[in-house]
Parts: sequence; C-alpha cells; structure tokens
Amino acid sequence: MKFFKGFAEEFKRNRALFAMAAPAFILVLVMQYFPMTGLVLAFKNYRYDMGVFGSPWNGLANFRYLFASGTGWLITRNTILYNLLNLITSQLLAVLIAIFITEINNMIFKKVTQSIILLPYFISWVVVGVFVYNLFNFETGMMNGVLKAMGMDPVNMYGIPGAWPVIICLFNAWKWTGYNSVIYIAAITGVDGEIYEAASIDGATIFQRILYITLPSIRPTLVTMILLQVGRILRGDFEMFYQIVGNNGQLFNATDVIDTYVFRSLITNPDIGMTAAATFYQSVLCFVIIMVVNAVVKRIDEDYALF
Amino acid sequence: MSMRKKILATLLAMTMAIGMLAGCGGGSSSGSSDAPASSDSGSADAGSTDGAADTSKEVNLVMYVISDRPAGQDVVDENLNKLLKEKLNCTLTINWIGWAEYANKYPLLFSSGEEFDIAYCATWLNFANLARRGAFKSLDELLPTYAPDNYALQSQTALQQATIDGHIYAVPTLLPTYITYGSIYRGDLAKEAGMTDTIDTWEEVEQFGDWIKANHPEMEVIDEYSSGPELSLVWERMAGNYEIDSGNRYIFYDPSEEEPKVFAIYDDPTIGDFYEMCYRFGEKGFWSKSALSDTDSSKTQNGKAAIRFHNVDTWSGYTVLHPEWDFQYGVMTSEIAHLPYTQDCMVISNTSKNPERAMMFWNLLTTDQEVYDALYYGVLGTTYELNEEGQFTILDTDLYSTSAMWAARTFDLNRNQAGVPESYDTMRAEWEEQIQDGVGIEKYTGFVLDTTNITTEIANCQNVRQQYGWPLELGYTDPVAGLEEYKQKLQEAGIEKVLEECQKQLDAYRTSLG
Repeated sequence: MKFFKGFAEEFKRNRALFAMAAPAFILVLVMQYFPMTGLVLAFKNYRYDMGVFGSPWNGLANFRYLFASGTGWLITRNTILYNLLNLITSQLLAVLIAIFITEINNMIFKKVTQSIILLPYFISWVVVGVFVYNLFNFETGMMNGVLKAMGMDPVNMYGIPGAWPVIICLFNAWKWTGYNSVIYIAAITGVDGEIYEAASIDGATIFQRILYITLPSIRPTLVTMILLQVGRILRGDFEMFYQIVGNNGQLFNATDVIDTYVFRSLITNPDIGMTAAATFYQSVLCFVIIMVVNAVVKRIDEDYALF
Repeated sequence: MSMRKKILATLLAMTMAIGMLAGCGGGSSSGSSDAPASSDSGSADAGSTDGAADTSKEVNLVMYVISDRPAGQDVVDENLNKLLKEKLNCTLTINWIGWAEYANKYPLLFSSGEEFDIAYCATWLNFANLARRGAFKSLDELLPTYAPDNYALQSQTALQQATIDGHIYAVPTLLPTYITYGSIYRGDLAKEAGMTDTIDTWEEVEQFGDWIKANHPEMEVIDEYSSGPELSLVWERMAGNYEIDSGNRYIFYDPSEEEPKVFAIYDDPTIGDFYEMCYRFGEKGFWSKSALSDTDSSKTQNGKAAIRFHNVDTWSGYTVLHPEWDFQYGVMTSEIAHLPYTQDCMVISNTSKNPERAMMFWNLLTTDQEVYDALYYGVLGTTYELNEEGQFTILDTDLYSTSAMWAARTFDLNRNQAGVPESYDTMRAEWEEQIQDGVGIEKYTGFVLDTTNITTEIANCQNVRQQYGWPLELGYTDPVAGLEEYKQKLQEAGIEKVLEECQKQLDAYRTSLG
C-alpha cells in the first residue's frame, strides 16, 4: 500500500518526466518483454491449431537434443571461445586504430583511412563467404594460386579445421574494427584538448600522452563496450559462421557454434519447441554471465558497471 | 532513499508487464481454442449441404506458393481472376515465398494465425509433421463434397499418403513423378569420347570421368556442391534398396523382401566398396576438394561440370536450356516406382474462412484446361505460346515463368515444354508400364515415417550425416577409418533407436496393407 502511495506521489510530482519516459517504456515493453512469453514454447510440444499457450507441456524434452550426443558442451565451448577471441581482437584493434587516427594530423589522409577501415562493415557476410571460398578453394583459389606460382605445394585449407578459428577471427576483426573504432574515436575526441597541451608543455612524449591521458579517458567506454559484448557471449554470429563455413562438415568440430548447430539440426525437420529451447538455453547462460561480470566490475569500480 | 525508489519503480514495471502478459495469454489461448471448434462446424456444414455449390457470395481466396515472384506476374493474375470471377465468382491472390526465405517463413505461415486458404505443401516441406501438429484443415468431407471430380481421379495410394492419423489433410498431385535417380551427362562430350552406350554404371561413369579429366581439365567431372553428395543414394537405389524417408537417407530397406528389415548405411555389406570407389574418384579429382563450400548449384547446366546425379525432371529442364550439349540421362535405379504423391500437394490452412470455395477452385483448376493454362502458363500470346503438339514455350523468361503451384499439375492437363526430347515421354511411358500397383517399392511409397518419438535422435543423426557422412562420401577422409568413425558417431547420436522405430512403423504399415 505504502508503495502505491509513494508511487502516486512520485507520479504527481514528476508527471512531465513520466510522460516523456512513456514512449520508450512502452516500446521496450512491447518489443522486448512481450516476446519473452514465447519462451514457454521451450517447454511445449507446439501445435499449430492450439497456439503458443494452448499447446501441451512436455517438460525438458525439447532440450534433450542439444545434449543427447555430447555436442551441447562442444558447441557451448566453441561459442564462448569464439566470442572471447573476437571480443579481444576486435576491441583491441579498434582502440589501437582509434588512437592512430586521432593522432594523424593530415585531415585528408585521416578521413580516407577512416572510410577505408569502416568499409568492411557494410559488406554483407554473404559476399564475405564468396571471398573466403575464392581465397581457399583448393583447385582454383587465390591462396593456392600464389603458392603454386612460388613453387610450393598447394594447401587444402578445408581439410585443416585448426586453421579456421584464426580465419574466422581475422574476418571478424576485419569487419568490425572500423565500426568499433568510430565509437572510440568519439570518446577520444571528447577528451579536453587542454590536458594534452598541458602535458606536451610539461614535456610528455606522444607515448606518454597516449598511455596516461588517452587510455584512461576511454576506459569507461571500453568497459561498457566489453560488458555489452559479454552479454551476447552465447550468441554466435550466425551469419558469419554460416556464410564462411556453410555445410562443410569437415570443419564443424572447430567451427560449430550453438546457432549453426541448431539451424542445421532443425532445417530439415523444423520444430519450434526445440528452437525455442536452444534460445532459452543461450539466454539463461547469457543472463548468468552478464550478472557475474557486472558484479565483478561493480566490485572494482562502481561507476563502470552497467547497472 | 533513491535506491529504494528505483527498486519500487522496477517492481512496478514488472508487475504491470506481468499483468498485461497474463491478459495477453488468456486472450490468445481462448482464441486458439476457438479454432478447432470452428473447423468442426465447417466440416459439419460441408456434410449437410450435400455438395450444392453455393457461389452467390464473391470471395477472394489467398494462396501461398514457394518461389520467387516473376516480374510479369500481374498480367497472369489479372487474366486468371477474370476467368475465375466468371466461372466461380471468386478471385485469387497468390502470395509468393522466395527461395531465400522459405525454410524460415513457411512454418511460420501456420503459426502466425494469418488467414489464408490454400498453400502448396510437399514431403520436403514436412507435410506429415505439419499435419500432425494441426496446421491444416481436415479434408475428409471437403474433398469428396466440393472437389468430386478431383477426388474421382485420386488413386487409393495417393489418398493413403495424404492421410495422417486417420484424416485426409492434403490433395495430392495428379501428375505422377518417379523415384528414378541417374546420371545427367553431356551427350556431346560422351560422343567425342566414343562412349555410345548410355552411361548408367559406375564403370562407365569412371571411364567417362577419366576421359573428361584428360581432355577437358577445366571441367569438373561430377557436379558436387554444398548441399551434399547423393552418390550413396544412387548406390543403394542401384542395389534395389530404398530409403526409409526422404529426409533420412542413411537408413534403407529392401522392398523386394517378404518382410523388409531396415538397416543403417554402414551395415550394407557392399558399402566398403562404395566408399573405396568414392575415395578413388576423389583422388582422381572428379570433384573439387572444396566442394562442400561451393554454393554454385548450376554447374552442370552452365557447362562447368559434365555429370550430375539427379532426377529425370532436372534432366528434361537441362535439355531445354542447352539443346546443343545434347544432355543424356542414364537411369541408375534398379526398380522404378512413383514418388509419393504428396511430393507435391495442396493443403487448406487451419485459418481458412472459405475452405468450400477453395476446394471448388481446386476442382476446377485440376479438371479445366482453360483455368489450368491461365494459372500455370499465363496468357496465350503474351506470356506463353503453344506449338503444334501443344507444347509450351515461355515467351520472356525474364518476365514470366510457369506457376509454382506444382501440386496443380495433372497427367491430362500438364503440357511438356517445347524442346524436351522425345525420349522423356517414351521413358516415362515405359516406366508406367513397368510399375505394378502394390509390388516392390511401389508397395511402400505410401509409407510415411512418423518422427514424433525420435525427433531428438533424427536431428542428431542428420547432423552426423552432414559432418561425417558427406566428407566420407566425397573421399575427403580415409574410406575405412572414416566409415568406422561415421558408424560410431551415428550410434552415439542414437541411430539404434531410430532403426527400431523405423522397423516398427514399417512392419505396422505392411500388416495394414494385408
């Protein structure tokens, strides 16, 4: 009761603020929270004529296929490792590039570089998939063409699963670094120029300026970016994996992530319940991981935590 | 203090959300419980009107097909609707689901609750699974009452295939298709190689392949790409074995046996030789080492590959595209039978408001040449033309194409494309003669595997086949060690349970035939 009273008072006092927040609140509610009810499907034997809520329950049966033959752990591990690797490489490169670009004084060179680095972000994974195939195709690929021209033996990349984590990581970095660096460039530009001036008057070298001014000032941005990425750690970038690896079974042990495994298993025999189960599994794990990481960050410095 | 407020606000937001969700949930569950009731009353009506076709009210039927919408489709629609308005006082809206999105979008058609009447369905679109999950209206009453002429043309086998859990859920196609698989190959090159006999054995394939490799090294010998090899299917079909289900081509049985026993592909005693052969073909470079990453599905029709293993209709399509390459077809299936008639079928959506009119439309479409031509080929003189033998040519293939409602084809109404070689017709006539109803494979084409109890195992085996079976079949792994690994992985995936279930259902099917 006390709660409602408190709220009513609050509402009266800040009517304008509530009105302003309402559209966003409703949008999030409708677009993010309502669809969550669909998660009940993970525990149901879905029937078209009975709908989402009318279909009969079937306990944990939908989750069985993920773990039935031991693949569940493999793909979970792959998903997490790939995301960690991609997170580290793409963020690290983005920070480096952002620093380089902001340190460049020649305006034209700066803009051109920035555009070129950003360009891959606009290239669809479908096209990247074609690149990859034409690079590594055993008979007619560019890589083997070069190797043969240099008198070396051609290499069958599609027969070496171990090489693919590196290839995928490289392409991921190539595609995302430019985009991520824009955010860091914005953060660096926001740093007060007088600090740099003062530092150079005091005789700080360029490396000292970067190390003691630039990096500390973008630390909050970096932490937030990482936290946001960690929240998706159980979600494989389906398009990337699917376009690069596709149906090539030889590479699955090294490249299968949850999303591709689910897609492949169910494409011939779709089952809405089983798909929902996989999503549910990913969401729960993501939730746990983000809570833990956020708690850790909060422990270290409360200002950096997401919530 | 402010912290507490924050928590309060969050809690409030959550209670509101839950409240609204509860309301929402109640609404949709009551809505969906209406659905079976209305479909019941629908069929009751159907029974009581005893076929008196009432067309006094104009209705618009909505039909879903799978294909990319041709650019010039408007002309076809307009012409067809004029005709339908006149004959049946209805119009038809055709919605197209593109090839790029059908796998995701098609099942959603039935779960979204969208109101529509007719949809194309097929075994490869999981007809049985969808029917079992209540996606379609039962046609037990509707088909004989409102589409009597179509019903009269249906064979017993076809109706049996359309029956799931005791109810008819689809109108099967009236155009028989065949299980034949074989080699589609370049006749001009075979002639050059001096191979006069039809290439329909593995020895001939290898001989031709060696010649291609030596004389046309720029070509791929056997067309293999990312959708996976079908060599083992051809191997088994040549030995007279048939797969239990088109989605599970690693479990076979011999239909000529009195009591057929299902077996996993690794238990076929000849399979070692097969994988040895595949390995040899692979080593000779008959296909690319990167074939599984190659997404180009049109290598044979574009002259980049010399042989493709596929069905007879693919072959007839190629012959029209490139008559100068003289594509030939070597049947590599020991016994001919019809494909399930539900290979192409028509279903009425659960949400249909006018199932009666939809069935009347279907009856008209499958028995009236004028309506059939208008839907299937379009407008004579604008989108297609006919030659003296009644064969059609699509006039501007950039603008128009034949309809994607393949289930509407019937033996009587369907036209051949101009340019298809005569052997296509003679071959099919020969097959029709060979096929005996209820004998050999034909006896089992009505069998539909119910995967309800083994969904998990099937999903896993499917995956193993792709991960270990395909590379083995393309000779990327050692034929002996690879087979051992494939077998072990299939067993881990639960193939024993699948085999047991398949055997049980196959036995039940056989006894039901008597």
